[in-house]
Parts: sequence; structure tokens; C-alpha cells
Amino acid sequence: MSDLTERMVRRMLAERNLFGLAIFAILVVVLFSIVSDNFLSVVNFQSMGFQVAEVGLLSLAVMLSMLTGGIDLSIVSVANIAALVAAQLFKSQHADSATGGQALVMTVGFMLVGIAAGTACGVLNGLIITKLRVTPILATLGTLQLLNGIAIIWTGGMAIYGMPDAFLNIGTGYVAQIPVPVIILLVAAAATAVFVNRTGIGLRMKLVGANSTAARYSGLNNDRVLMMTYIASALLSSVAGVLIAARSASANADYGASYVLLAIVIVVLGGVNYAGGSGTVTGVVLAAFVLQFVSSGFNQVGFNNFLYSIAQGCILIVVLGINSVSARWSPSSRFAILGRRRRNGPGAASSPPAALAGIAPPGAFVRSDPDQLAGGRSQDPGSPPEGENQ
Amino acid sequence: MSALVPALRRLPVHRLRGSNNEGVLVLCIIVLSLVVGFSDSSFWSLPTLLNIGSASLENVVFAMAVLIIIVSGGIDVSFMAIGIFAGYGVIVMTNHTGFGASSAWVGFLLAAGIGILLGTLNAAAIAALRLPTLIVTLGTQSIIRGVLLAYVGAKVIPNYPHGLDKLSTNYLVTAHGSGGDTRLNILILPAVLICVAVSLLLRYTTLGRGIYAIGGDPESARRAGFPVFGTQVFIYVFAGLLAGIAGMMHVTQVQLANPYELVGGELDVIAAVVIGGASIFGGRGSVSGTVLGVVLIALIKNSLILLGVPGTWQRATVGLLLLVGVSAQALSVRSRRQHVDVLAEAPA
Repeated sequence: MSDLTERMVRRMLAERNLFGLAIFAILVVVLFSIVSDNFLSVVNFQSMGFQVAEVGLLSLAVMLSMLTGGIDLSIVSVANIAALVAAQLFKSQHADSATGGQALVMTVGFMLVGIAAGTACGVLNGLIITKLRVTPILATLGTLQLLNGIAIIWTGGMAIYGMPDAFLNIGTGYVAQIPVPVIILLVAAAATAVFVNRTGIGLRMKLVGANSTAARYSGLNNDRVLMMTYIASALLSSVAGVLIAARSASANADYGASYVLLAIVIVVLGGVNYAGGSGTVTGVVLAAFVLQFVSSGFNQVGFNNFLYSIAQGCILIVVLGINSVSARWSPSSRFAILGRRRRNGPGAASSPPAALAGIAPPGAFVRSDPDQLAGGRSQDPGSPPEGENQ
Repeated sequence: MSALVPALRRLPVHRLRGSNNEGVLVLCIIVLSLVVGFSDSSFWSLPTLLNIGSASLENVVFAMAVLIIIVSGGIDVSFMAIGIFAGYGVIVMTNHTGFGASSAWVGFLLAAGIGILLGTLNAAAIAALRLPTLIVTLGTQSIIRGVLLAYVGAKVIPNYPHGLDKLSTNYLVTAHGSGGDTRLNILILPAVLICVAVSLLLRYTTLGRGIYAIGGDPESARRAGFPVFGTQVFIYVFAGLLAGIAGMMHVTQVQLANPYELVGGELDVIAAVVIGGASIFGGRGSVSGTVLGVVLIALIKNSLILLGVPGTWQRATVGLLLLVGVSAQALSVRSRRQHVDVLAEAPA
């Protein structure tokens, strides 16, 4: 029995961030339900649900890339590509005038095609990151612009309309008073949690994020792990994109540009280590809901969006500031990764994991050229040995 | 590509490439100019040059702020918010109080002051709380923009104080063309001066070398005796100053103070700096490369219009350019790394 208690206490301590976030969520709900009469109403929670679903899915996508120590900035562009592909198919087949079984088949089929198209963008990200060895932040910054650019060329900046009701119901319908998008978000979150915690690839993603060099020496195929990560990230983004199209009854090349930064805020607030290696789906979903509570509460009290923007920034800096300061005073080994970041200084978020601590076998000799040991990667035999001197 | 690179390296030409691919950028600019010039002879004219100058003027100052931060190993997404806060804030303040309405100097000094204050906010969070730069600047971006729109103002202001109004129509060069006049604002001179100053700072001062050192490896820099904390503070305060001035330049040039502008364009400036050869890991980057990167993007946007390509192609083209640029950079780093063969013992 005491063993179980000990494990529970350990878990509580290990998920201190989650604990704090849950308390914060409750405080926010209590505060706004006192200040505003309508906050605790079913209608308000339903309307919050519609809004939180899209951004929650995008946050899960960012979380996956951040677990491996990278970041995916192209989420919104990918989402819009998926939405546009589906919308264009609906439009070209005049799906809005279709009825019954035909409309249903079209809805399912075109949605899947849209999601597949978005996921293909993830393959592009993966190829640039693994084959061309471009840092994720730059690779996805590039694809963010490129995919958005392609979408603008394609639509000429116009929105695409003309979707059948069967499709729109996905974005606006309810099942037992619960908005369908929320159900989709929860299913996707559960699937992501299983993917991250219960599958081999999920564990490998965390290992690569904790220490990519050590992961490589442990025999992992880092490239395959990264490839899977960016494909999964694009898959989640595409689902978000289709949801956006179904909710707003249109698809647009420029929808939701501000969601990129918001998703990063949510993920970091949810306790995902920005240097990679750790993070929980529960934390991310909880953080998405917390920010939605604050946003909706501000709305009810009559504060404008700009005040919400201020609150969002303050929450981010204060919560992380407290975490960072308390981590510095805690000698616990749980903060080994945080310690690494501290040594690397504030710029470490965008730098590769340099330390070889932790997972590397003790006493192992490590060559600074991992490519030779990893094998299988093509080498350039023609280059002169002096390389490029500055 | 792999066969071409060693062949090219045997030629002495490769020295022209520069330490941050500046040579490649110059080559791109020349080739692009020739191609566009041949298909449309009106390209080779003064108005084109002035257009590119006007388009690059404020971006190059923003890019200097981003360059310093990227060289130090950080990243900033708040500089555009600082810029528009300073630019719009000064117009509002001067219109309300009448203080310094007759002189543009006062406006720019105020903008610089606001920039320094907001930069201090970044510096405090980054250096004191030791938070990662991307996350802090994401937060400050929301805060700064929120404060601007909630408390300073959310309306577009067309009437400028006298001094700034005069400056906004003070042109250095005017080209009379068939399609109307093309002008280049006198503000290009301070923009060039700022580039020179940043270049001197990065190259010849201990502080500047410290920025590179921190970007290379903060721990090594600390052990080598560089004041990491102080340098970090300086970097973000100075970047705030530059962003404030650039924002004021923008507001002056467009002659219409719009608080919704600029924010959202951060990634474009970062793209220009990265195309200019600065390494996102820190420790590498040059003013000349950055200026070339900004000019190349302005040139591409300008020539797409001249070539009759629809404006909708701009974004995809810049995105493609960014991907090609960073891929080339990554491939060259990789081939360089393959020849470093040092043995190091892993900590047990």
C-alpha cells in the first residue's frame, strides 16, 4: 500500500505543472462565474467548445514536434491547405446540392482527401528536415510561407464556399449537447496520448528530444522518428483545417495566422519542455481550455480582445517565469533537462541539444561525427578535407 | 550539386563567396537583375532603384535588430510590435500634447526611448528569469500589441505633427517617370548609418565580439570572461532601440499611422536575416549579408511585379527562396562537419 502511495505522490510531484494548471483553471472558472452571470451556462461552455477544438488540435500538433526538440511553424498553412483541398472538391462537384447518401459519401471522401493532402505537406517538412538537415524552425518557417503562398496563388486570396450540410454539421453540430468539434478534439487527444505514451515511436520521439545524439548512439533511426513526427503533426493540423472549414462554411488561404503563436503559447503553458523530451497531452489540452476560459470570460465581462492579448502574454511569462525560478532552486534530478537549458543559457530553445549527459552509455567514447557511426547516410567523398575555412 | 561543389572550390573564385555566402547573394541579385532587365528594359532605371530603396529602408533597420539577436543565439518575434508601438505612440503623444510637434528629431528620440523601454522588458524576462527568447518575445509581443490597441489607440491617424509631416515629404532623390514620380525618402541616410554602426559594433568592439561568443556557446563565453548577463541585457535593449527607430521610419514613410500594421510581418524579416547567412544557432552572421538578404527580397517582390507575375505569387516565391537558402546553408555546414574528427569522452 505504501508503495502505491509513494508512487502517487511521486507522480503528483512529477506533474506539478499539471497540478498548478488545474488549480489555475479552477480559479479562472470560479472568478469568472462570480463576475459574470452567464459564464457557467451550458450555452457558454458550448460556444467555448467550438473555439477550443481548432486551436487545441493545432497545439497537439506543435506538441509532437516540440517533444522531439523541434517546432512546427507550418501548422496553420497545412491546415488551410487541407481545408482548401476539401472545399475545392466540394465546390467542383457541386456537393452543396447533393442529397442523402451521395452527400454523405462526398463528405467522408473529400474530407479524407483534404486530410491526406495536408498530411502530404508533413512529408515535405519531414524530407526537408531529415534529408536536407535544415533546422525544424527554419524548415517549417519556409514551408509556412511556401504553402501559404501556394494557397494564395491557388485561390487568388478569395474564400471558397459551397459545402454540403452533412459536412457543415461536423463543425456546428452537437452530440448529446456536446459540440462535435470537442468530441473530435478529445478523440484526437486520446489518440495522441496513446501514440506518445504507449507506442514505441512515441518513446523514441521523447528520446530524440531529450538527447538526439544519445538516441542515435543507442541505435535509433532519428530520421525515421522525425519523419513520423512531422507527418503526425501535419495529420493533426489537417484535421484542424477540415474542422475550421466545416465550422466557418468556407476555406481561406489566410485563415488563422495568429494561431501559430497561440498554439506555441498553449503547448509551453501545458508544460511541454521546449527543448524536447517531455510533455503531457493532458497538460496541453488543459492549457488550451484555460486560455479559452480566460478569453471567453474577458468577453463576458466586456473586456476587449486586446486586453485578452495582454493577459495571454502575462500568463505565459509569469507561469514560465515561476517554473524557471523554482526549477533553479530545486536540486531534484527531475530537473536535469532544465539544468541543461540553464547551462546553455537563454538562447538554448533554438540550439541543438549539446550535452551528452543522461542516456549515453557510461564511459563510451563518442566521436563528434555521428554520421559515420550511424552509417547508411550518404557521404560526400569528393570534398577536400579542409572544408570551408572562414 | 555534390559534384559541382568540390569543382568550384578548386577555383579561386570561391573566396569571393564570403564567410556568410554574401558572394552568392550578390550573384543572385546580379543574375536576377540581368534576367528581369532583359525581359523588361524599364527595370534598368532610377525608379526601380528608388523603389527597392524605399521598400528596404525600414526593413533593413528591423533586420539589424533581428541580426544582433540571432547572432547571440536567440530569436525575437516582438520587434514589429515594439516598432509599431513606438511609431504610433509618438504620433498619438505628439498630437495630444503638442510636445516636439515642430521637430522630427524629437519624434525619433521619443520613439528610440520607447523602444529602449520595451527592449528592457524583453531583457528583464530573458536575462533575469532565464527563459528562452522565443517564448519571452511571444509573450511580450502579445502584451505590447495589446497595450497599444487597448490603451494607446486603435484608430488610423492621418494627420501628423508638423515636424514629422515635413520629414515624410523630404525626399533625397526624385525620379520623374511617365507613370508618375518615384521618390526616395531622406530616411535612407540614417538607415545606412545604422547599418554601418551595427557593423562596426559587431566587428570591432569587445561587446560585439561578445555577442558572437555568446551565440557560439554561452558557457564558453562566460569562461572566456565575457559578461554574459550584461551582454544579453544590452542585446535586447539595443534591439528595442533599433525597432523603435524602424517603427518610426515606417510610420513616417507611409504618412498614415495604423496601429494594426507591421505585427505579423516578423517572419519575413527573420527570413531575410537567415537568407543573409546568419545562423539560427547563433555565432554567425554579418551586416553585409543581412542587407543583401533584405535587398534580394525587395528586388524579387519588385521584379515579380515588373515581369507581370500576379502579386499573389510573392509569398510563395519568398518561401521557396528561404527554403533554398537554408537548405544550401545546412548542406554546406554538413559537408564542413564531416571533416571534423575529434574524439571526446562522454561524461559517465
